[in-house]
Amino acid sequence: MTKKNIIQSIQLRLFSRKMDKVFFGKLVSFLEGLGQATIMIAETIVCIFRGHIPIKSTVSQMVEVGWRSTPIIILASFFTGMVLALQVGSATTNLFNEPVYVGTVTGFSLVIELGPVLTAIVVAGRVGAAITAQIGTMKVTEQIDALYTLGTNPIKFLAVSRFLACFFMLPILTVIANIIGIYGGMFLTTSLWDVPSSIYWSEVLDFMTVRTFIHGFIKSFFFALIIVIVACQKGFNTKNGAEGVGRATTSSVMSSMVFILISDYFLTSLLVALKIK
Amino acid sequence: MIKVENVHKQFGAKNVLCGVDLEVRDGETLVIIGASGAGKSILLKTIVGLIKPDMGSVKIDDVDITKCSSLDLHKAQKKIGYVFQEAALFDSFNVFENVAFGLKNLTSLNEKEINQRVVQCLAMVGLEKIEHLKPSELSGGMKKRVGLARAVAYQPRYVLYDEPTAGLDPIMSDIINNLMINLRKYLQVTSIVVTHDIKSAYKIADRITMLCKGEMIFNGTPEETKHTKNEYVRQFVEGSSCGPINVDKTFGMGRI
Repeated sequence: MTKKNIIQSIQLRLFSRKMDKVFFGKLVSFLEGLGQATIMIAETIVCIFRGHIPIKSTVSQMVEVGWRSTPIIILASFFTGMVLALQVGSATTNLFNEPVYVGTVTGFSLVIELGPVLTAIVVAGRVGAAITAQIGTMKVTEQIDALYTLGTNPIKFLAVSRFLACFFMLPILTVIANIIGIYGGMFLTTSLWDVPSSIYWSEVLDFMTVRTFIHGFIKSFFFALIIVIVACQKGFNTKNGAEGVGRATTSSVMSSMVFILISDYFLTSLLVALKIK
Repeated sequence: MIKVENVHKQFGAKNVLCGVDLEVRDGETLVIIGASGAGKSILLKTIVGLIKPDMGSVKIDDVDITKCSSLDLHKAQKKIGYVFQEAALFDSFNVFENVAFGLKNLTSLNEKEINQRVVQCLAMVGLEKIEHLKPSELSGGMKKRVGLARAVAYQPRYVLYDEPTAGLDPIMSDIINNLMINLRKYLQVTSIVVTHDIKSAYKIADRITMLCKGEMIFNGTPEETKHTKNEYVRQFVEGSSCGPINVDKTFGMGRI
């Protein structure tokens, strides 16, 4: 072995050790976060079952999550519905010389997939970021420590209300998104191709069953859990002042979105296997 | 009585507390001095139960809060008021709600009594008719005083102060010092004060102790502190950059 080869081999080994350290460091930090999130969920559920629910704070969080997110959800879903109808109408016009099944495809796509996912992503960006920034700021300004010293469990004080607000408001927002999206599709179909609204509605409702609605509804509950758990966990673990709050907020939104998209596949597989579709 | 025995705390590779022993007698004011990063605030947070030590015990009235149940820890915390360095007032609450927070959670007072107590505590710290203001509308000194009112509102036996005069002008610092002295005089509270402010330490302390590199290296009265031959204490008291306490005199320029 030449001297050059030996040096290269040592460098390679050092690089490989460094990579191992980085990989294991990331893995440990992920598992640590998972453990903390599990403890937080357990504490939150115990608080809820013991009736330790801060009513006033829960109502104000419900207003924040539900009412204040409604305009953006309406706007996003209306345009999504229009885009879907436009795509389906254009494609079927090319194939059959007229827009057919526009209502069916728009309704199905929205109710089982786009409605829950789109709503969850909008709420993750709006509410998830706000939750992490609020809790994170409280953490770095020692307000969380102050809660402890004043005899209050921060989980009970901060997480329970946000948990309940997200869990109940996200499915409601999803239903709103579904309805508005379908209306968006109807608006485009009737105005662009002069299709009567009765035909559009019969296309929407003919193939849709209660199970189709339940499929999307179940997903939205899971997405709500992902958003609130990730947001609270990132908030409670914020460090390093204002910079840390910014980093935690970005990480919270990104992680929520990634987990929503990944879990969507597995949830869909499970629900299809259970014939809830 | 608060008794800290052989407390160790490590963050990553850094040993912050290396076998700290401390005893605070009822009714006395103990001042802990030490350079930045010496572990003073960590020690204070360990005493109140916010940080769990790796080793050692912290006894509040003979209850070891490092090993007790969460219920006993909660009982012990009821006896302690904590004044945070940056006041740590709740942003979303106004001054009244901040001061009333501990009273609602730690006492069985009714609403009328809580109202009276809040007004009383704010008057005691020289703040009146500011109950409706939000923390963002207060000056630094006012925040500290509201923080103090919040910490003593539920009449704890022990009050822990983390840098109570940091960032304040000399007049406001003196007002805070007098408040601490009056609290001891009228409410007979036992206090532990962490500070860099030597003038303040001499004024309020019954006993001064110095923490250096995670260990207690000095313990004495203010008079003994003034005349000590301990080189670490002398350097700190005199505020000199030359001495056994290592400081980066190049402000990092040496690395460039």
